[in-house]
Amino acid sequence: MKKLSFALLFLQPLMATPEDSLVRINSTIQTYSASQPWEKTPPRSRRGLGTLLPGNRILTTAAMAADSIYIELQSADSTKTIPAKVTAIDYEANLALLAPDAELGFLTELKPTVIAPPAKPDDEIELFQLETNGDPLSTTGKIRSMELLSTFVSGRYFLGYVVKASMQTSGNSFTLPAFQKQKLIGILTSYDSKDQICDVISVDIISAFLKDAENGNYEGFPSLGIAITTTEDPHFRGWLKLPENKGGLYVTRVLPKGSAAKAGMRKGDVILSVSGFAIDRRGYFEHPDYGKLFWPHLVRGGPVMGSKIPIEVLRNGKEKTIEATLQKSPSPLVPGYLYDEAPPFLIKGGLVFQELSRPYLEAFGKDWATRGPLNLLDVLSSPEDYEKGRRRVVVLTRVVATEATIGYDRLASQIIKSVNGKPIKGLPELAKSLETIPKNGIHTIETDKEPYQIFLDQSLSDRVDQDFVTRGLPSLKRLYKAE
Amino acid sequence: MIRTFTRIFLPLVLCSALSAQLKDSPVSPDSPLAPQPTLYDSVVKIEVATQVPDYRTPWNSGRFSGGTGTGFIIGPNQILTNAHVVSDNRRLLVTRRGSSRKHVARVRHIAHDCDLALIELQDFKPFEGLPYLDIGGMPTLESRVSAIGYPVGGERLSVTQGVVSRIDFSSYSHSRADSHLVIQIDAAINPGNSGGPVVQDGKVVGVAFQGNTQADNVGYIIPTPVVKRFLRDISDGNYDHYMDLGISPFPLFNPAMRQAYQLPADGKGVLVANVVPGGPADGILERGDVLLSIDGNAIDSAGNIRIAGEFVDMNEIVERKFAGDKVALTLIRKGKTLDKELTLKAFPYSRIYSIQYEEVPRYSFFAGLVFQPLNLNLFASFKFNDRRLRQIFADYVSRGLFKKMEDVVVLTRVENDRLTTRMGGFTGMVVSKVNGKEIKNLRQLHEILNAPNPPEYHAIEFNGGNRPLVVPNSEVPAAQKRIMAQVGITKAAQLD
Repeated sequence: MKKLSFALLFLQPLMATPEDSLVRINSTIQTYSASQPWEKTPPRSRRGLGTLLPGNRILTTAAMAADSIYIELQSADSTKTIPAKVTAIDYEANLALLAPDAELGFLTELKPTVIAPPAKPDDEIELFQLETNGDPLSTTGKIRSMELLSTFVSGRYFLGYVVKASMQTSGNSFTLPAFQKQKLIGILTSYDSKDQICDVISVDIISAFLKDAENGNYEGFPSLGIAITTTEDPHFRGWLKLPENKGGLYVTRVLPKGSAAKAGMRKGDVILSVSGFAIDRRGYFEHPDYGKLFWPHLVRGGPVMGSKIPIEVLRNGKEKTIEATLQKSPSPLVPGYLYDEAPPFLIKGGLVFQELSRPYLEAFGKDWATRGPLNLLDVLSSPEDYEKGRRRVVVLTRVVATEATIGYDRLASQIIKSVNGKPIKGLPELAKSLETIPKNGIHTIETDKEPYQIFLDQSLSDRVDQDFVTRGLPSLKRLYKAE
Repeated sequence: MIRTFTRIFLPLVLCSALSAQLKDSPVSPDSPLAPQPTLYDSVVKIEVATQVPDYRTPWNSGRFSGGTGTGFIIGPNQILTNAHVVSDNRRLLVTRRGSSRKHVARVRHIAHDCDLALIELQDFKPFEGLPYLDIGGMPTLESRVSAIGYPVGGERLSVTQGVVSRIDFSSYSHSRADSHLVIQIDAAINPGNSGGPVVQDGKVVGVAFQGNTQADNVGYIIPTPVVKRFLRDISDGNYDHYMDLGISPFPLFNPAMRQAYQLPADGKGVLVANVVPGGPADGILERGDVLLSIDGNAIDSAGNIRIAGEFVDMNEIVERKFAGDKVALTLIRKGKTLDKELTLKAFPYSRIYSIQYEEVPRYSFFAGLVFQPLNLNLFASFKFNDRRLRQIFADYVSRGLFKKMEDVVVLTRVENDRLTTRMGGFTGMVVSKVNGKEIKNLRQLHEILNAPNPPEYHAIEFNGGNRPLVVPNSEVPAAQKRIMAQVGITKAAQLD
């Protein structure tokens, strides 16, 4: 007993307390207008907490850094501030690393924290908030379960903790660090005050993120590149000849060029096990320490990029093992998110072209998924029907009334097939096609809807474009990323 | 737009109090004819009992209801009224002015696309001697007209006066898909007025048919060109519907577009942006043709023509024609001027976009799964959200999808049962294949599912679905019997 207290006394001065590593983060977020992509929408601000790690790195969520135009670090008592920059960010895992932009400022007064070893179900953790005067406010919570959580980009699941805690709702948004035995164990991303339940990003994911970011070249989490559905339906199982003692996930889509596609996985395969873990009919496996977990953890929660994992599948009633070399998911035809990316666009003579993305469709409002333009929604739900010959889907999104667009004012949501006879793979290709001078001086733009062909006077549209520039449009095009 | 119009048919609920009153007073037999019957005497009250099928439960008998409307005698045993007054009727009773005797009638011709119907009495004798109302011409703007009928608010004939305030092309809400010429008047037209004549100088200038929920004191009447077209269409004993060219025009305003089609900048000609496959213009017109004239009338770049000094859409020419009539077109194709002639024909596939009446909903019931062909009635009943279904519905005619699928077969319901407990995720989707065969119509789906040598598992695939719905054949017979009994279905299919 005596020996133990001695040991604690000895250790304490070395170990920084959590509050010594806390930093306030104020970020100013600004996104581009979906309908007028050359403009930005009014800025918003977001506040949260970060944790200082050794090497003057500050860990926070991607939600705090995504689309930020200015990030500021502030001392706990809000008296000192320094500007910061993003050094690594993972939108899907919802993690970001910040660094001071120039001087270290008040960071020199703080003590960095270290990363805790993995937690176990039923562990107690401490959630930290800051009072206005800078005093830390900690709440003890208990890990109720380990689950795969989607905390920022919808549909991307990563290991997290579901924590029961009764927290005080402070002015900060819910990006709060969680500690266990003075070490960082996770980041809280949301809190439900009614049920007193919060979602916390796990230390397992944080460690993998930090390791990846170490060399300054962040790669991201691997992905198989498949879509699946469950096999609980007994008749479906019978049809698949799935034995009663097996689980199984039915593969509904295999992304071309993805890890699974390269390994030879096919639509209609039934995944029976991944890396030796049997997958049940709802997609769960038994983790030795964490209990039942959703299968993507076997891809994203441990193996690094480039590692090989065996996958056991049932194909035409026969079992077969394939080996997938894990890589990042291939760039999809319709990007699911565009954080920190200015959406590419091109204006020609008043015709506005954009690359189709999920954020563009979401801008159609609350009911976008059913009430948006049907032809564009179909691309999102069945990209395989549009993938041939395309990297991105170029859409004539709107028509600005000009001399060159007389009679076209009501055209919108037209998918571009070709320009001057050349198929359009993406916006840069469209730009190139429109730069060539057609033989009769008229650009021919082929689309998927009535009137199927749109004609644009080349010299008139060039003149209109010049007009746009003199009338204050900042730019007529943005291809790939913004400069 | 369409929603703002309400049909002015008086539902039964409103008049039940009145009919109760009628019972109290002694019912006299035929009241004697007035010495000199007037125009008013030829305006009759129509009482309708209806049975409207419920597309959500197609095996049920539907909703029994009814109401009243107005009609008027235009010839020997010919009573004109609105189609919506007599649609889905089980019984029609006609009452003369100043009489309580109800005379049984039936529909002879009904035109849902222009909301007109001609009904006849089982026995016209009691009505003989009444004057036949003459169908007149178009009233002028600002002239006075009288609407005659049996609207809500009393038992006897009502006459209201109003002024012609607008003559326009507008929606006919009965079919939810058609637009024709309409006259707007400021007379108060109320429920029960439907089908009544609107007269001027002793002649009919229109048939009262709809109101506007967004405006007060506005009534709409069907003008006589539409009435006369209906009467001419049925003169051969059959109603053939309005005709359509089956093309999508696109205005040729853009100078570059005009240049691409080798047209001078003279504001003439409209582009054919699409030709409906299988429609009257299929094989005669092509996408990219420029129409210059229709039946000798020059077409401008917006697709308008001038008839008798009036500036109207070129479709007005087709509006006035009948099945089998010819339309002469002058067009430019790849720089060459061509003269073409097309023959108008009925195009039944476009009715998928109109509300259907007098039809028994078709369905096939298979072990708890309900399959129905898509049409506007079904769409109105189920509010489908599936993207593929909505896309197929939108493209059905314009892209000629009807060629591959005569019926768009939808899994509309899955009845709860131990067999179907995991099948719910597929409702509202379009069936693409059953047991490997592409589905073209409801009957074929029904026959494949009920084939004599069934496979161990029936696999039903859906358009845009991520996996097939699987039904083990061994469990089908018992489940079919069990679920039909539970839900109260007596007939497993209605295929016609």
